[in-house]
Amino acid sequence: MKTVESLGSSLLASLEQTGRTFLLLLIIAYRIVQPPYNLYPIVRQIYFIGARSLGVIVISGVTIGMVLGLQFYNTLERFGSVDILGSAVALSVLRELGPVMTALMVVGRAGSAICAELGIMRISEQVDALECMAINPDKFLVAPKLLAGIISVPLLTCVFSVVAIFGGYFVGVVLFGVSEGSYLNGMIDAVVWSDVRLGLVKSLIFGLLVTLICCSKGFYIHLTKSGSLGAEGVSYVTTDAVVISSIAVLFSDFLIGAIL
Amino acid sequence: MTQETAIEIRDLVVEYGNRRILNSIDLDIPLGQISVIMGGSGAGKSTLLRSMLGLKKPTSGAIRMLGTDICTASPGQLQEFRKQMGVAFQGGALFTSMTVGENIQLPLRQHTRLDENTIQIMTRIKLDMVNMLPHEHLMPSELSGGMTKRAALARAIIMDPKLLFFDEPSAGLDPITSAELDELIIKLKQSMNMTIVVVTHELESVFKIADRIAILGDGGLILAGTPEEIRASDDPRVVGLLNRTPRQVNVDVDQHLRRLSGLQEASDKK
Amino acid sequence: MKHELVNKPDFDVLVLSGDIDLHHSPTLRERILSSLKGGRPLLIDMQEVSYIDSSGIASLVEGFQTAKSSNLHFGLLSISSPTLQVLAITRLDKIFSLYETEDSFIEILEL
Repeated sequence: MKTVESLGSSLLASLEQTGRTFLLLLIIAYRIVQPPYNLYPIVRQIYFIGARSLGVIVISGVTIGMVLGLQFYNTLERFGSVDILGSAVALSVLRELGPVMTALMVVGRAGSAICAELGIMRISEQVDALECMAINPDKFLVAPKLLAGIISVPLLTCVFSVVAIFGGYFVGVVLFGVSEGSYLNGMIDAVVWSDVRLGLVKSLIFGLLVTLICCSKGFYIHLTKSGSLGAEGVSYVTTDAVVISSIAVLFSDFLIGAIL
Repeated sequence: MTQETAIEIRDLVVEYGNRRILNSIDLDIPLGQISVIMGGSGAGKSTLLRSMLGLKKPTSGAIRMLGTDICTASPGQLQEFRKQMGVAFQGGALFTSMTVGENIQLPLRQHTRLDENTIQIMTRIKLDMVNMLPHEHLMPSELSGGMTKRAALARAIIMDPKLLFFDEPSAGLDPITSAELDELIIKLKQSMNMTIVVVTHELESVFKIADRIAILGDGGLILAGTPEEIRASDDPRVVGLLNRTPRQVNVDVDQHLRRLSGLQEASDKK
Repeated sequence: MKHELVNKPDFDVLVLSGDIDLHHSPTLRERILSSLKGGRPLLIDMQEVSYIDSSGIASLVEGFQTAKSSNLHFGLLSISSPTLQVLAITRLDKIFSLYETEDSFIEILEL
């Protein structure tokens, strides 16, 4: 009986949180269209989420590209078709790995920080202070982060994909001696606009999901059990935010792939 | 709105979940004076403050502040009202990503279209008032406890509010710093004609600054009056609070036994 | 807030009245600075001012600073006691040149 009870209550709690998260999205959408419009905070967040994640994205992009080059080369060589190495790397990066890996990197690099920052602001009464100053915390704190996420993640995905393709190029052409022409031309022939579009749509949705979940987890910390736990509570919700947004990325990756 | 009363609290009931924190509070806060809300831990001070700030919606009752009932006000009305009030939070609640100066300017930048020079001068005037002028460019993490409270106070008064709320001004401060803060509160009342509400459990400063004192206990208002009336009171809870004697609990033998043996019903909770 | 600039032979007088708050101080600032551009000493008549907030005082401080840097006299005339208290809390009463009467301002000018 106890088990059923606790299962039920945690199910209710997660439903409640899901509801809150999507409500937050609606509130922000409504707030964004209302004046005043202030660009500077958004630029600051793009710098934080985007520019400062660039290093991680480039390194992981090169690495993934090289791994792909290596694996595909070994496999394709058995069938004697190393000519399609370029298109194999490009397609898997553009359609799948680019958006997913970028989103996961952003979760770890920026998402956790966003969640912890908002959580700390909430428990140290900074959010209350904003409200008492007649400054809307949704608009002042959450909206710039959300917009920055939607803008940064697709851009980072583009960087990741380009870098990964060069990683594959390095392994295939420079190390294993695949001809440069077949790597690049094969890629140009095989990749069509819909592949690029799929990647962009995915990264846009991932950017929204990741920042929305991380913001909501931190911003609403006071409505959960962790709210009264102080610093420990912040660490709980941050872990939660990272896990949930990672799963959300992987699951929605499948959904989008199935629909589009 | 009567001229003399800044805040009128009528039959205020506040509950968290099914726990009743405040039980039918009636309180008047006079205009242009310093009112201190006292009480031990768990007496409902913070809840009363949060209700007055519009951060916690009461279950029932009314809070009229400067003529606006904040319990029934629309978000827009509440927003407008809040531009006339300043709040200094217990932990300061300064934004850690901004310098002290930027923190203080934030309300001006959000709500006014003043010239940059005016904003800078106003910031320094307020910093000077709280003796923080040399620290304008420090980050909140570099401030001591007393400096944090003073910076928070400067931010609270940047818009020249009519109403100032101060949560636990002396908590966690050494006696000298807390005495300086008391002086500052009195100066603000005199020179800027502010209505000031201080919430505290520290006895030291209460009688120095208060024009009116309200004592809360167990979610109800025990007594409200001038410092003299409070001193003269023979209510055991007031005397206990003033003499710092531990609370006397009337023990109901059966109930206490039930509590200890874990058989207490959930409905026993207040 | 109402304001009126009176040109005297040797100086200008800016006569203010009413409340000076966040909404009015930009006008006040603009009046003071534009008057000082003319290169004449400025006396601010505050007799009819019922209330001045810190944005108004900030405008006065800026005006005083501007006047000082172009070597012009800048005075405040007949300050009410509530206003004086606001100035006193930030020790501005010791900074500004305060005058009881217009004649005492003229005396200083003639020195």
